[in-house]
Amino acid sequence: MAHTVYSMNPAAGVVLAGGRSSRMGTPKATLGWHGSTLLRHVTGVVERAVDGPVIVVRAPGQELPELEPGVVVHEDPEEGRGPMQGLAVGLSSAAEHAETAFVCSTDLPFLHAAFVRAVLRGFQPDPASGWEAPPEVVLPYVGGYRQPMAAGYRADLAGRVNKLLEAQRLRPMHLFEECRVRQINDAEFLADPWLAKVDPDLDAVVNVNTPEEYSAAHDRPQPEIVVERYGVLATRGGERGTRRVNASSLAEAARQVGLSFDGHIVAAVNGDQIRGDGKWPLLAGDTVSFMSADAGG
Amino acid sequence: MRATPGGYCGQALVVDVSDGSTRTLPLPDDVLRDYLGGAGLGTWLLTELSPAGAGPLEPAAPLAFVFSPLVGTPLTTSAKFAVVAKSPLTGMLNDALSSSHFAISGKFTGHDAIVVTGRAQAPTNVLIDEDGVRLVDAAVQWGMSAAEAEESIREQHGRRWRAASIGQAGERMVRYATISHDGRHAGRGGLGAVLGAKNIKCVAVRGSKRVDVADREAVLVAAKDLRNRSFGPATEKYRELGTLSNLLAFNAINTLPTRNFQTATFADAAKLSAEDLAESRSVARSSCASCSIGCEHIYASKNGKKARVEYENVFALGPMCGVSDPDHVLDASARCDELGLDTISAGGTIAWAMECVDRELLDVPWLRFGDGDALARALDEIGTRTGIGELLAEGSRRASEIVGQGSSAFAPHVKGLEMPGYEPRTMQSMALGLAVNSRGADHNRSGAYEADLKAGLDRVHGTTEHVRAAIQTEDRAAIMDSLIFCKFLRGVFTEPFEEWAHLLSLVTGWDVDADELHETARRIVLAKRSYNLREGWTASDDWLPERFLDGSLALESGRSATLPPERLRTMIDTYYQERGLDSNGRPLAMSTDSRTEPST
Repeated sequence: MAHTVYSMNPAAGVVLAGGRSSRMGTPKATLGWHGSTLLRHVTGVVERAVDGPVIVVRAPGQELPELEPGVVVHEDPEEGRGPMQGLAVGLSSAAEHAETAFVCSTDLPFLHAAFVRAVLRGFQPDPASGWEAPPEVVLPYVGGYRQPMAAGYRADLAGRVNKLLEAQRLRPMHLFEECRVRQINDAEFLADPWLAKVDPDLDAVVNVNTPEEYSAAHDRPQPEIVVERYGVLATRGGERGTRRVNASSLAEAARQVGLSFDGHIVAAVNGDQIRGDGKWPLLAGDTVSFMSADAGG
Repeated sequence: MRATPGGYCGQALVVDVSDGSTRTLPLPDDVLRDYLGGAGLGTWLLTELSPAGAGPLEPAAPLAFVFSPLVGTPLTTSAKFAVVAKSPLTGMLNDALSSSHFAISGKFTGHDAIVVTGRAQAPTNVLIDEDGVRLVDAAVQWGMSAAEAEESIREQHGRRWRAASIGQAGERMVRYATISHDGRHAGRGGLGAVLGAKNIKCVAVRGSKRVDVADREAVLVAAKDLRNRSFGPATEKYRELGTLSNLLAFNAINTLPTRNFQTATFADAAKLSAEDLAESRSVARSSCASCSIGCEHIYASKNGKKARVEYENVFALGPMCGVSDPDHVLDASARCDELGLDTISAGGTIAWAMECVDRELLDVPWLRFGDGDALARALDEIGTRTGIGELLAEGSRRASEIVGQGSSAFAPHVKGLEMPGYEPRTMQSMALGLAVNSRGADHNRSGAYEADLKAGLDRVHGTTEHVRAAIQTEDRAAIMDSLIFCKFLRGVFTEPFEEWAHLLSLVTGWDVDADELHETARRIVLAKRSYNLREGWTASDDWLPERFLDGSLALESGRSATLPPERLRTMIDTYYQERGLDSNGRPLAMSTDSRTEPST
């Protein structure tokens, strides 16, 4: 079984679902993703890494696909002002529950919970920075590019973002000029052995903007996970032991080992929460334990 | 003569074994409707019949075999009975359920309950049939195992007799001795010691008075439907592998108590798993009378001893004691059955003693974690109250009070009852259920693990939602244990309270509905609490051992499972509030909605 030794961060998640998707030609939020939608997949990944709420910010009147129960939906007050508008709304909401938030766009099909955790760990005080206070933004600098739409923000930055919006300063760089930004580069990310194992190319920041990019992403092999079956689920088909399968969701993993993810089966991922939602996202390195829903003994 | 509701005899039989006198106790219709049968009616009977403050092993302490309105009907899993008495482990109300032909024969003597009180001068068997009660000498059976005694009674008096018996542990008043019948056990809380204290080896019943139901045809149709549903996926686990199929799954999710709850995973769990046993050994399957599930899986050890394998006995005698050899665990389980010992309490108490030895608090060098021979020796000494068994026969709470030196902090009990195989830090609905349940650390009267092992709640961080979920499972258990249905049928009911109300209406003729059963559940839960309150319960009894409140468990996911005392306090306070109790856990409004409040 894979071991991770990270602790959860007192953080929220913010997924920006608005945007014109002009090059894609279809709203990215509704794009399918291996039996789910891209938005549901990304919110599910973020939910796995934070212990605060996950907030989706949509454009005014934007229709969203079905989301996991518990996901909070907010709306931009004004359309067409770019990611800073969604950032302001999302951080305002996050501030009610958490000090920090991981903020990302919808179009990150390979986002990994280990990457989100690594970003959020960047809020811990860093003596090397020379700052007395912890950073206000944790900004990945991957492949030579800053990644403001897969970054960590202190929730109390919402006010400053609103002031920038009022001043028509609509780019994230304008915010970064005004606060303590800690950049994390590829080498620093990959110093985390677990992240290096499950996402060695840091594909977590790969976004899809065109139908071609989406199609290529969709054609990639789904993440490799380990499946364990217990009790009658292990003995019924005469095949016991663990299996490695490629699956993006619990339902897909169940299907590949001949199980139907109905109400009589539940799953635990990495020995943690019990899940009954077939669309729940799986990630490279996961171990899924399928067991009977009735635990009586 | 009054007409009794369908499914009931309308009376209990009270036998004083001191002199053989008997009396019939009429059971008013409103009492039956308020408390149903089984654990509920048993609670009412115990409250009515036991003198306040009477010690559980004193002659005045009653012990009741309580049947239910469904016993004798064709409804699957209904051949069950409750044994109810004050527990010698906890000093509080204890109801333990068992199954099979004793329930049917007992009810067909014409009684909804049989209550034994007093103390016989010498070892005695109690024989009850439609002709009356006989006390007969038990010298032949004394010293036998329960199974041997049961067979001896039937050889001596006839095959139609069904006997509930104690083993040597009950004779010696081991505080967690069982009462057994037909290979099943009223296992928890030491009721075998209560019978032993009365010098009673067996209570045997023979009856043929069938009990009418209100709508026989409709009951038959409903029984056929329920039986068909009982063959579905909701019971597959029980049919195919039995409850032991929990073991590996629980190990994967960090909730398999190991080495006296020092960890929640056991490296050798696979060796003891149902999956391995089913693959490597032949199995004999069996079922209780009137049961279409058939959960019993009986395996033989290399020594030829046969043991019914359940999750709880394997957890308690295996990982809990660090023992990984399946032959040792099967032998230990069989030995518990022979002696008449509750496997959970036996394993828990021995595991506590093993940790004491590790910490050099007990000078018993042979009693080490992982040593199957030591486990066997400890069980023998407990069953015969010899050597270290004299101490361990008292259970982990009393033993830790005697040993002292901080050993109470890791004595695995609540209210004196040893804990079942669910780690509270990784199952925090269950943590609450274990803490507040009237029977003590118990998985059958609370059943809150159901909430933890369903999607939706964070099982390692208890909240108000966990409290509500625990109350719901406790209510469901109160009804199932009083109707009585086997818990393994629970997944078959999609709308349980509605379905149970419907079935109860068909049997009794009452116009009972789901709302009434919800209220009945609450009444039964509070009646148990009220009995305990009368017998000396205080709010400090609703708590967990220190071990669970100051340590953490690392999960594979990277999170840590902790249960800070302030979180448990908040959950308990919320439970009190939601149950309508005062801030000290005392019932506020028992009498406002009950037609038949017991005279506490």
